[in-house]
Amino acid sequence: MFQKVVCGLMATFMIMSVLNADERLLPAQLDERVAVGFAGQPPAPLADDAEFLRRIWLDLAGCIPTSNDARHFLDDTDPGKRSRMIEQLLAAPTYAQRMQELFHVVLMERRGDHEKWKQYLYNAFERNKPWDQMVREVLNPDPQDENRRGAAFFYAKRIEANGQNPIDHPGLTRDVGRLFLGADLQCAQCHDHLFIDDYKQRDFQGLYSVYLNLAAKSSPDIPAVTEKPMKKKLEFISVFDPTQNETGPRIPFGLEIPIPEQGKDAAPVSLLAVLASELPTAQNALFSRNIANRLWFVMMGRGLVHPLDLHHSDNPPSHPEVLDLLASEFVAHQYDIKWMLRQLALSQTYQRSSRYPVASANAASAAASVNVEQVRPQSYLLANEKRMMAEQLLHSTLRATGNLERLQQATVDGKPNAELTELTKRFVAAFANEPREPEDQINPSVKGALFSLNDDLVLQLVSRQSGNLIDRLLAMTSDELLADELYLSVFTRRPNNEERNELAAWLTKHNDRREKAIANWVWSMLTSMEFVVNH
Amino acid sequence: MLGAAAAGGLGLGTFLQPCVADELAKNDKQVLLIWLDGGMSQLESWDPKPNTEFGGPFRAIPTSVPGIHVCELLKHTAKQMHHLAVLRSVCTQDNSHSAGVARMNRGDPKNRGVEYPYLGSAVAKLLGPTSSGMPPYIWIKPNSGGFKASDAGFLGAKYGALALGDGKPPDNLLLNKSISPEEDELRNELRRKFNDRYAVGRRTQWTDANSYVYELAQKLMKRDDLFDESSFTDKDRQRYGTHELGRHLLLARRTLETGVRFVKVNSYHWDSHGDNFNASESLISQFDQPFAALIEDLHQRTMLDNVLVIVMSEFGRTPKINSHVGRDHWPEAWSIAMAGAGIRKGVVVGKTNDQGTFVEDKPYDIGHLFHTWFKAMGVPPDKMEYDNQGQPLPVAHDDCGPIDELLV
Repeated sequence: MFQKVVCGLMATFMIMSVLNADERLLPAQLDERVAVGFAGQPPAPLADDAEFLRRIWLDLAGCIPTSNDARHFLDDTDPGKRSRMIEQLLAAPTYAQRMQELFHVVLMERRGDHEKWKQYLYNAFERNKPWDQMVREVLNPDPQDENRRGAAFFYAKRIEANGQNPIDHPGLTRDVGRLFLGADLQCAQCHDHLFIDDYKQRDFQGLYSVYLNLAAKSSPDIPAVTEKPMKKKLEFISVFDPTQNETGPRIPFGLEIPIPEQGKDAAPVSLLAVLASELPTAQNALFSRNIANRLWFVMMGRGLVHPLDLHHSDNPPSHPEVLDLLASEFVAHQYDIKWMLRQLALSQTYQRSSRYPVASANAASAAASVNVEQVRPQSYLLANEKRMMAEQLLHSTLRATGNLERLQQATVDGKPNAELTELTKRFVAAFANEPREPEDQINPSVKGALFSLNDDLVLQLVSRQSGNLIDRLLAMTSDELLADELYLSVFTRRPNNEERNELAAWLTKHNDRREKAIANWVWSMLTSMEFVVNH
Repeated sequence: MLGAAAAGGLGLGTFLQPCVADELAKNDKQVLLIWLDGGMSQLESWDPKPNTEFGGPFRAIPTSVPGIHVCELLKHTAKQMHHLAVLRSVCTQDNSHSAGVARMNRGDPKNRGVEYPYLGSAVAKLLGPTSSGMPPYIWIKPNSGGFKASDAGFLGAKYGALALGDGKPPDNLLLNKSISPEEDELRNELRRKFNDRYAVGRRTQWTDANSYVYELAQKLMKRDDLFDESSFTDKDRQRYGTHELGRHLLLARRTLETGVRFVKVNSYHWDSHGDNFNASESLISQFDQPFAALIEDLHQRTMLDNVLVIVMSEFGRTPKINSHVGRDHWPEAWSIAMAGAGIRKGVVVGKTNDQGTFVEDKPYDIGHLFHTWFKAMGVPPDKMEYDNQGQPLPVAHDDCGPIDELLV
């Protein structure tokens, strides 16, 4: 029907079709290429088991482990236990749950939620659907297929009627560029981008011309869109140049696609189908580089290209060879997300500590002399601290305080527990970004602080209830056991001696009101940086 | 503050405690920004052109400064003119609300691929809280409140606005009943100790940001009296008026007295495309009465030397009167008024032509005004730069400078 041609920006990033000749495993190759940028500075040592365990659970299960899981892992002497843990978490049902929550926030940016969309994402990750297939299904949702029609929510929510405002077709166009190609074409809506030579107005307008024909047609239960056939090219002018331009449909940075001729009797030709077959392909280098960069960001806390949606020639990756390798390997492995996350998790770059050892007389290592404040996040000399999504923070708070199991039990009528629903609402209100803002960095706010300080439901979690953490701790026969259980439950590590002594002194001092004293200690741990950040 | 002083000048400035420099820590300047959303007509306010083609029906009246006239709709404000400065040669770039609101609030820095902060967040970052320790940026607005992180742009949520919807307090402001004040102190002491321990060997930027928002939250919890409208006197209520903008400007006075660094008050529905003269009579009167009272009060309380007051919109309105007896969007020639800290008193700067259609002498854009205001606030020239994780970013447009005629 039309030529598959790439030009401009895409040509700059052609994926090498030759297979990777290096026979070493990918994580080692990544580490080597990251190390090139260290420029003589020593990296932080590898994370200890506890730091690794908390991090990998948060990244792959969306929650911290229980104290028992932590205890088993820390006491396990098998040198292969980290890889085993990675495998275990990738195979667990919590993986799909975590990925559903993560990709929901990445793709919808807190615009709202839909049961069918959640289900679609969950099923996709449970079956480890390849990324290109998922994107095809999102770009061309099939209303007939019960398993896939939830994908229409991506479009439908963005172009739903919103009071007197015009339907946000430009916003949808921008998001498809940002989220699937890593190119924010917003400025190119009205003129060629002034500072990014790669972004042309025709790239925006060509995609926009397709979406102008899209309308939301959701019923309360099912998100859906309808597409009108395109009749003629879209005319546009630049705000800086009154010359009349026009374009037919176009994948950004690709060639114009002829408007399909609509036969009288035949079913209309869908341009969404054309987009779906042409955009998420191995020939479209930006498509692969965008997702490789985003998965890297999920694990490493900083995009190789950063901000994540500004891939262009004047904003090169911090480590071009790493991104090239990741993108081409991802294509070679059929966009297998689970495979990619495994490779990243196995790397030393991922498993590095988030802190440098402190200088002392007997720890005069090179690493101890590094001025940590001068270490840039894009150096990966130490593991970047990562934001906990509201959902990660909620699950982890519930698990730490021993309330998760109780709240996850469905009620008799099969509905989710009302307290859990309310808690979820409040955590999202307190810790999520406002709609349409990517959650790409740690973001402390006065709102979140007031919530943690004073919210009723939060404080209830640290009051004694049958079987929860406070209840368990009060039943402990020694302060030693109590300290272990407390620190393993909340911080996923054992306390050091200083902490043991502090806690013992605290409990002695407040012996007349032990329950309150323990509750306050737990609250302080839950609101401290060690808990609220993924480090 | 943990790590803040030690980390000064090390390329992570964006995330440090705001008051890193002594001279800034001592700065007690405050700002009140009154934002008239939709665009106030300059012809019915600061730059009247009576008896001209586009002048409209209202008269110009003398003010407390001989030779300066304003529109008769500003009859109270006219009596305070000796405290004010009006720039009549404002010429900005945007004809649309969305672009105008964003650019005017951000001061039109050159595009460097980052989202610049609004003025309130910029001041919160550059000057930090005053010695009161109150949150540096409070926004009093109609309807809903909350925490508006988006104003902060690349500076991050901690510099966002705490928005008081219709003057109401934020959620979770009161100490939970199950916690006694003593317990509250104890648990926060522990939290700080845990954070100190966590910060060892790590970059301090996030721990600092986290500590900072907790401190602000705790400070705010102790000042819940701020939100008690019943404690205003009847006389104040009469002087300011019981309408929305009147109540909000009265609350703004108290908020400034509490020591909040930057207060923004928004008023909406100024976009008078139709029936501009009746609309202006109603809206400008609602502005005039409390604004004049506020200027008078700030002066009497000797606060005006420290508080910079700014009145602006995203643009002015067309001199040409449309077929709906309205005025449309006009960025070409309009006025912005200001008073207080560092600003000359009783002056008009700049001039439009006889019809009010264009600026007759040198036109000034919002970039010049940001420079002027930062200078009035006492931001030292060497602090006129953000450090966005190593990327230096000028706080105001590099090609502009301050408007000296407006400055003391």
